[in-house]
Amino acid sequence: MAIHERSLVEPERILRKERLVIDGVDVSGDWNLIILPRVINDYDLDFAKDVMNSPDGKTITQCYQCSYCTASCPVHNYWDERYNPRHFIYLARLGMIDELQKRADVMWRCVSCHKCTHRCPKGVLVEEVLKAILRAMAKKGLVEEYPSKKFDKFFTESVLEYGRIEDGELLFGWIEKQGYRVFKDPILKKPIPFIGETPEWLKQLTVKPLKSMNIGFLVLNAKHMLFHPRTKNWSKFKQVLRKVMQEEGALH
Amino acid sequence: MGVIGKRVAYYPGCSLEGAARSYDVSTRIVAKELGLELDYLEDYNCCGAMESKNVTFMGTMLLNARNMSLARRQGHNVIVAPCNGCSFSLQRAEYFLETDRAVYDRVNALLREGGVDPLDQIPQTYHILEWFYHEAGPQKVKERTRKPLRGLKVANYYGCLYTRPHFYARTYAHAGGQDEEARPRKRETADDDEHPYYMNALLEAAGATSVEFEPMHTQCCGGPHSLSDELVSEKFVMMILQTAKRNGADIIATECPLCHASLEMYRHRLMMKGVPDVDVPAAYFTQLLGLAFGYSVGDVKLKDNLSDPIPVLKKLGLA
Repeated sequence: MAIHERSLVEPERILRKERLVIDGVDVSGDWNLIILPRVINDYDLDFAKDVMNSPDGKTITQCYQCSYCTASCPVHNYWDERYNPRHFIYLARLGMIDELQKRADVMWRCVSCHKCTHRCPKGVLVEEVLKAILRAMAKKGLVEEYPSKKFDKFFTESVLEYGRIEDGELLFGWIEKQGYRVFKDPILKKPIPFIGETPEWLKQLTVKPLKSMNIGFLVLNAKHMLFHPRTKNWSKFKQVLRKVMQEEGALH
Repeated sequence: MGVIGKRVAYYPGCSLEGAARSYDVSTRIVAKELGLELDYLEDYNCCGAMESKNVTFMGTMLLNARNMSLARRQGHNVIVAPCNGCSFSLQRAEYFLETDRAVYDRVNALLREGGVDPLDQIPQTYHILEWFYHEAGPQKVKERTRKPLRGLKVANYYGCLYTRPHFYARTYAHAGGQDEEARPRKRETADDDEHPYYMNALLEAAGATSVEFEPMHTQCCGGPHSLSDELVSEKFVMMILQTAKRNGADIIATECPLCHASLEMYRHRLMMKGVPDVDVPAAYFTQLLGLAFGYSVGDVKLKDNLSDPIPVLKKLGLA
C-alpha cells in the first residue's frame, strides 16, 4: 500500500518486511507495511496565537487541510517534496515546534508565487500565513539565518535608507554578502563592476551592453549606482517606518 | 470599456527607472499611440516588493499607503503599475486597508505622523496590461499597427502575480471561507485567473502568433529568490525557456521587469552551462507593440535587453 506524503514520515519509522510479526501476530501479506507510532508531548499551543496576532496570519484558523495548496506548489512539485505548506500550517496549529524546526531548512524556499493562496477553497492566505509562521519562529530564535531572510533584510534596509532601490547596488551588495571581494572606490564607497571578484556569468552579462556599444544604458545605470536614486522628504517618514519596524521586532 | 479611465496615475517602480528603462520608454510610446495618458507619480518610494513584506507587515503597508496618498494628492482614484511585484504590493495593501479597519486607522495615523496626507479614499490598482486591454483593446491595436509582426511566434509569459492571488488581484469570483466583508468581488476588468489571455490578444492583434505555453505562462520564474536561492530560480527558468523553445517560440513576451531580469540572467547562466533548448530571447510586450506601431529598434530600446532579441527579429524582417 502506498503511503501518501511519505516525505512526512521519518524513514526509520516505516517498517516493511516480507514476513512481519508484531506482538506475536503474523501480519505478512498485504499488511507488510507499517508506520510505527510515536508519542508527542512537547507542544506549544501558544505558538498559533503568535501567528494569529499579525493581520496577515489570521486566516490560519480557516484551514481544513485539503492539501490543494501543496498540490499547486511549484517548490513542492519541482524542487523538494519536503516543502509542504499544508503540513506547516498543521504543525503550527498543533504547536509542534520541534517538527517545524526540523523543516526550517526548506521552509524559507517559498518563492512567493501565491498559487497556494489563489487556489485555497477556504480563503486562507496561505503564503502570508507561512511567512507569519516563519516570522513567529524567528522571533523565538528557532530558525537560523537563511539566505532569503538575509536578502529580505538587505533589501528592506536599502528601502529604509533611500526610499528606493537600485538594481546594480543590490546585485553587487548581495554578491559581497555572499563572500566575494567587491572592489569599491575609496571616496564614495560604491562598488565598481569589472574590478575585484565577480562570478564569471555575471561578468559576461555585464560586458554585453559594452560589446553592443549600448552606452546610454551603461551611463544610466552607472549614474544610478553612483548617485543612488532617492525619495525626497524621506527622513521624517523614515523615522516612522523605523518606529513601526522596531515595534514588530524587525529591527535590532 | 471605460471602467478604469483614460488618464491614470502611473507608478513605474524603481526598476523601470534603472535597468528596465526599455519597459518604461516603450510603455509610454504604446500609451501615447493608444490615446491613453499616464500621469507620473511624483516622488514615489519603493513598494517593498516581495522582500519587505517578509520582514515587516506594517512597514510594507506604510510604504504602499504613502504611494496611494501621493496618487490621491494628484487627484487620482486609479493607480496603474507595469510591474507584477508593484501591482501586487499595492493591491495587497488595498486589500488589507479595505478589510481590516484597525490596519486602516493605524496606517492613517502613522501617515499623518510621517508628514504625508492620510488616505481619504483607497485608490484601486491595476496592472498596465489590464489597462491597455480595457481602455484601448485589440481593435485599437489593430488600427494603429503599421508594421504587423507577421511570422513572429511569441510565448506570452505572464508570471505568477499578474492574476494571483485572486484575493488581491480580484480575478476570480470566489467567496472562500472568509467572512462577508473580507470576500473579494471579481473585477469587471480582470483577466482569466488560470488562463490569462490579454497579452495574447494584444500581440495577436499586432500580427504575431501565440504558441502553446501552458502551464508555464503563469509558472513562477523564481524571481523573489533570483539572488538568494539561485538553484531554484535556475531550474524554474530552465523549465519556462525549454517549454517555450520546444513549442516553437521565437521570443518570450514579458510584462514584469523582475521576471524579465530573471529570465535573462538565468538564460545566460544556463547557456554557459550548456543546457539545451534555452536560447529564447525575452522582450517586453510593449517593445513588440512599439515595433508593430512603426517605431524603430532604437525607439523601443531593444538594445537594452541582455538576451538580445534583435537577431531573431531581423531574421523575420521585423527590425
